Amino acid sequence: MPAAVSIKNLDKFYGDFQALRDVSLTVTEGEKVVICGPSGSGKSTLIRCINRLEEHQAGSIDVLGTVLDDNTGHIDAIRREVGMVFQNFNLFPHMTILENCVLAPMLVRKTPRAEAEEMAMHFLKKVHIPEQAMKYPGELSGGQQQRVAIARALCMKPKIMLFDEPTSALDPEMISEVLDVMVSLAREGMTMICVTHEMGFARQVADKVIFMDRGQIIETNPPTEFFDNPQHDRTKTFLSQVLAH
Amino acid sequence: MTDIALAPPSLDLRHMVRRKLFPTPLSGLVSLIGIALISWLAWALIRWAILDAVFFGTPDECKQAAGACWAVITTRWRLMFFGLYPYDEHWRSAFGCLTLIAVIVLSCIPWFWTALRISVLWVVSFTIFVVLMRGGLFGLSVITEDKWGGLALSIFIFAGTSLLGMPLAIMLALLRRSPLPLVAKLSGLFIDTVRSLPLITILFTVAILLPIIVPGLAGTKITRVICGMAVFFAAYQAEIIRSGIQSLPVGQEEAAKALGLNYWQRTRKIILPQAFRRALPPTVSQFAISFKEVALVIVIGIFDFLASGNAAYGSGDWAFAYVEVYAFMAFVYFIFVFSLSRYGAYLERRMRVGK
Repeated sequence: MPAAVSIKNLDKFYGDFQALRDVSLTVTEGEKVVICGPSGSGKSTLIRCINRLEEHQAGSIDVLGTVLDDNTGHIDAIRREVGMVFQNFNLFPHMTILENCVLAPMLVRKTPRAEAEEMAMHFLKKVHIPEQAMKYPGELSGGQQQRVAIARALCMKPKIMLFDEPTSALDPEMISEVLDVMVSLAREGMTMICVTHEMGFARQVADKVIFMDRGQIIETNPPTEFFDNPQHDRTKTFLSQVLAH
Repeated sequence: MTDIALAPPSLDLRHMVRRKLFPTPLSGLVSLIGIALISWLAWALIRWAILDAVFFGTPDECKQAAGACWAVITTRWRLMFFGLYPYDEHWRSAFGCLTLIAVIVLSCIPWFWTALRISVLWVVSFTIFVVLMRGGLFGLSVITEDKWGGLALSIFIFAGTSLLGMPLAIMLALLRRSPLPLVAKLSGLFIDTVRSLPLITILFTVAILLPIIVPGLAGTKITRVICGMAVFFAAYQAEIIRSGIQSLPVGQEEAAKALGLNYWQRTRKIILPQAFRRALPPTVSQFAISFKEVALVIVIGIFDFLASGNAAYGSGDWAFAYVEVYAFMAFVYFIFVFSLSRYGAYLERRMRVGK
């Protein structure tokens, strides 16, 4: 399998604070990677570097054969192929659900409106809320908004999906409806990189689980190995904290 | 066990009056005095403004009557509305003025809130106004800008200020947020400089000093005044827009970036529409302020609504009727600015539901 994302020796600083230290990671096409770790460990920063929401200072990122550098053409090309789902949904509140979904395909991919709307309805059906298409984001529950956010990202037909703690801002009873959508997306073969604390999800779909702490990757293993036989002390401590509750 | 009330208790009018106005003897006395005072004032005003007023007639008839002399308005309204514009051509000024009012009203309708629609609307209507007013086309006689005046001119200056000022304000607000420090600093310096100058000095500069400093300067005095006022408007409005932009959650721009939208697409579709919604109350008051500030152009000898009003009573015969003239002008200003603030309130209600 060719590499979808290839990160080599990445360093990232906020002023004097080093958020990422010498991080290297390869994600092959179709692979599902779950990144976990304590708060402030750099896991969100890492996936935000992949589509240039954060700028890295050293090392290299290669996405689907395009090198991520200061060239805006390269950045645009990568963003077109990489979808992202945020912790706080970030739907556009002044547009209906349907407009949220057709905006980027129409502007960026120049898809005609009729076709874009058809595609939007297809993906809204897939996340089980086609009947909300004409509503505004403020009229939906958190779980529904997050499913719309997933549909909106899918409308760009991305090859890679990044999930940045997609269930952390949700009420407990809404978490499973979002995870279900992510599981079915995984089953269809999407390349996924998920920052999440949902260890059940990691066990169910991940090809490999990565544990990060203080800006470094501490451990990378398949889920059975990762959960049943963690190698590193910090991983063990973290898992005991996350799985205990 | 007591019954559960299914509806709030309904109060009859007598009960309400007693509870609100006469809860105690002292409050009742104060209420009575207040009601008497208001009634007396209202009656005096109605007698002066309507019952004893003269609506049509000569100055002499007015002087004999005890009430207001609205005859000065019915006789001189054309001067107040159209200034020194040639009498036979007043219809052109009236149509031009109505076009601008119509376009101001149309701009308030959300359907027009796309960059394309709003610019087409304004460019077309402005062209119609200028062609009607200046003439020289379609067999209309040429009437130069020094003859324009009255309410029509005031609305033209206001519309011109908004038309030039708003795009300039957006540009300044975006430049001030530029990631390039030099550009951001320069824009900030420009905004702060203009904001630290009184409007009246800007008006004197563009109307009187500029032609002396730069001989052979293109453009009439009115065009220069509109440009000066637009820059002044833009400096304030830019900060209002910037406050709207900065109040947006950073996630909005990040989501737009992640979807692949470029800078202009993000700005046009995501950032500005939301920034304008958030900055709506101060934007409405900025428009109200600029509408009233147009009256300042009187000091540089432009014959606006206020100047025409002064002329309407200032010509001997009607000199005694200045109260009525000013009351009428205040009423016209009130209609404009009050509708503006009502419109602002409507927009806020509308946006509360997320639209």
